[in-house]
Amino acid sequence: MFTERFLRDKRGASLDANERARIEAAISEVKTFGPRKIIARAGEPLTNSTLLLEGIMSRYLDDRNGLRQLVAIHFPGDFLDLHAFPLKVLDHDVATLTTATVATVPHAEIEAIAKEMPQLIRKLWFATLLDAAIHRAWLFRLGRLDATGRVAHFLCETNARLFSAGLSDGRRFALALTQADLAEICGLTTVHVNRVMRQLREEQLCLFRSSLVEILDPAGLAARAQFNPAYLYIADDSQLPSVQRPR
Amino acid sequence: MMRDATDQLQPETQPGIATAEGGLVFLDGPDSIATTMTPEAAAATGQSLIDAAATAERQQAERDV
Repeated sequence: MFTERFLRDKRGASLDANERARIEAAISEVKTFGPRKIIARAGEPLTNSTLLLEGIMSRYLDDRNGLRQLVAIHFPGDFLDLHAFPLKVLDHDVATLTTATVATVPHAEIEAIAKEMPQLIRKLWFATLLDAAIHRAWLFRLGRLDATGRVAHFLCETNARLFSAGLSDGRRFALALTQADLAEICGLTTVHVNRVMRQLREEQLCLFRSSLVEILDPAGLAARAQFNPAYLYIADDSQLPSVQRPR
Repeated sequence: MMRDATDQLQPETQPGIATAEGGLVFLDGPDSIATTMTPEAAAATGQSLIDAAATAERQQAERDV
């Protein structure tokens, strides 16, 4: 089954068996790309959307000097360019970070689903709104948090997203990203990321071993990140550490 | 509920902390400032800050007259 992680454990939006079967039937192709491959470029007309099955992908923008800002990271279960269905072109590039397997869903199929199953279209809409919520959190991260807070926030968010997708036990998860990737996510230099990772380790908040992340002190890391997972709309986020922001 | 205007972003009153490591300067804070500089860029930035601070103090003094 290709859709088992899509909207898994999302509040009020998880798929029922019929909805899952309909999306499975809409898939026209399953492809695997090597790491660091561009699969959609800004401005190119698109006729398909992409469901990520395995691996990690990114959306990014480059500045005039060619320096990159990753503006979104996608994990298995993310329908990562569903917004291309109404927009038809993207305003950013999409690329793999690791080897990635994706399922392609033609826009014509999404059009058919809209007619046949309006409640399912509402859930696809939910998925794009979830992307927007994550973008807001990324703005908060870059606008309000210091270097340690930014990395801590990304790790808390990733843990929560992977927990929801069934790929973290709530404290430990695989994350095959480089320090350069983290730098491009957090708006830091690679050496700054290296220093932050050491600080997080020395403060016994988080450990990094090759491509594994272990959160040693979930509450401490969430506090450093000012992280509250409410924006991820996870059905049961009671196991995830959180801080309350002032109202 | 929106915060009062007095709660909104104000000029920073706490200094950023600069540290050196591995031949580079790291500036963490205040708030969301997080940058890495070469020693030359850091020294020039520091001088620029000192000069601007002196100018701002003069402006405050002129305003208070």
